[in-house]
Amino acid sequence: MSGSVRALAAAVLAVAGLSGISGCASPDAPREPRTTGTVLTVTRVSPVDAKLSWHGKAPGAAGRIVEFATEPRGPWTILTYAPLSQTTYRHPDLIPETHFSYRVRPYYGPASRPVDVALPKGAFTKAEQQEEHTWAPPRTIRRAGVRTSPARGPAATPTDLRAKIMHANGIRFTWTDHAEGERGYLLEDRPRGDDSFRPVAVLDPDINSFGLITLPNEKRASYRVRPVTYGERSNIARLTTGERPAGRG
Amino acid sequence: MSTKYRVIAGISAACGLLLAASGAAHAEVEPGGWSSESPGFKVQERGCGQVDNLTFTLTCSTASGDQRAERRYDTYNGGTHQFEGYFRVTSMGGTRISLKQTFNDTDGDAGPYFMLAVERGGRLYAVHGGDTLSNAGTVGATVRVNTVHDVGEEHRTYINGSLKHTVDSPGGSFYDKFGAYRTSSGNGPATVVWSNVKFWRK
Repeated sequence: MSGSVRALAAAVLAVAGLSGISGCASPDAPREPRTTGTVLTVTRVSPVDAKLSWHGKAPGAAGRIVEFATEPRGPWTILTYAPLSQTTYRHPDLIPETHFSYRVRPYYGPASRPVDVALPKGAFTKAEQQEEHTWAPPRTIRRAGVRTSPARGPAATPTDLRAKIMHANGIRFTWTDHAEGERGYLLEDRPRGDDSFRPVAVLDPDINSFGLITLPNEKRASYRVRPVTYGERSNIARLTTGERPAGRG
Repeated sequence: MSTKYRVIAGISAACGLLLAASGAAHAEVEPGGWSSESPGFKVQERGCGQVDNLTFTLTCSTASGDQRAERRYDTYNGGTHQFEGYFRVTSMGGTRISLKQTFNDTDGDAGPYFMLAVERGGRLYAVHGGDTLSNAGTVGATVRVNTVHDVGEEHRTYINGSLKHTVDSPGGSFYDKFGAYRTSSGNGPATVVWSNVKFWRK
């Protein structure tokens, strides 16, 4: 990089830093608002361990996503879908001597009524293993006359969620999509004995059919789907990691 | 052009410079001295494997033989090499599909050296040894992979920014591969979409 370009880049970085970089839209977020509703801080708790903390209200949100990048412009990668009650996240064993950027965003979207599924006993058999599973890939089943509404509102709640048991470790879910403008769909499950739902698949917009191959702890579980939109992102919190400590890795 | 649009255009241009400058300065990870490179590659389709640009599909559930859809990059000899890429398993009816490999291409020692694979449910694991690296491979989730291979010293694998696997490396010749590849105990069908793939060396 030439000296003049470096100087200009430094000036732009300074301006961008003052604005939280939000003025420079990243390719994955062309329509995001630039103000913040959540305040995020990151602390280096060891040379290669980060602890994130955030506060702020997000009325009506289903939870928050925590994202990271190692370049100011991204790409941003989602680390977790955190329940609304969660206000910290530990990102461990980081790449040494590298710049990390973090942000959090609430996500919204009404969840369907859950369906309970009890699968037959048995493991994924060799025969089932060798089936084509053509029912499993995410797809859109077009339905005429379905009313749609903005994804964040209650009228976008998915209806008619059905779970068809395909074999001892496979379930095909179908539902009616009432959302418009959603960024995608989450399929969430709550295995029996667990307290809360968690995403088990992240699906594209307009998907309303998906086959899940289950894990051993999902023989009895509740499932639901929700369209997802993202809210205002937090400030961007940054840290630079130190050297990898001896004995780590 | 109105003042408002001039200001927007100015900000856009500045952002463009910022993005270009930051991309050049901060793209790679780990301490500096890296040079970006663009190794050549060959597309490999075997059995029911199909490649469409960066979408890699195994269309069958056949649990034997070569079932692979991948890019095989040029062989490197010595030095330190970094790979970065993002994958998304968009559908997975089968299980135990290898996503990224570092292959030993040294005469007498040729063969897979490191293989990152995904099991149904999203478990990411190292095929050699079976260590679980992460559970981030859920269908539809985008996962970032960085590998740093210091030939003759060490091969490190980072999943979503965290160090998850380290293995000693012999010297010799190696190459990178990624896509969707049936492991010896696995089978399709599966579709994996890769994006933002980059290479550096020093």
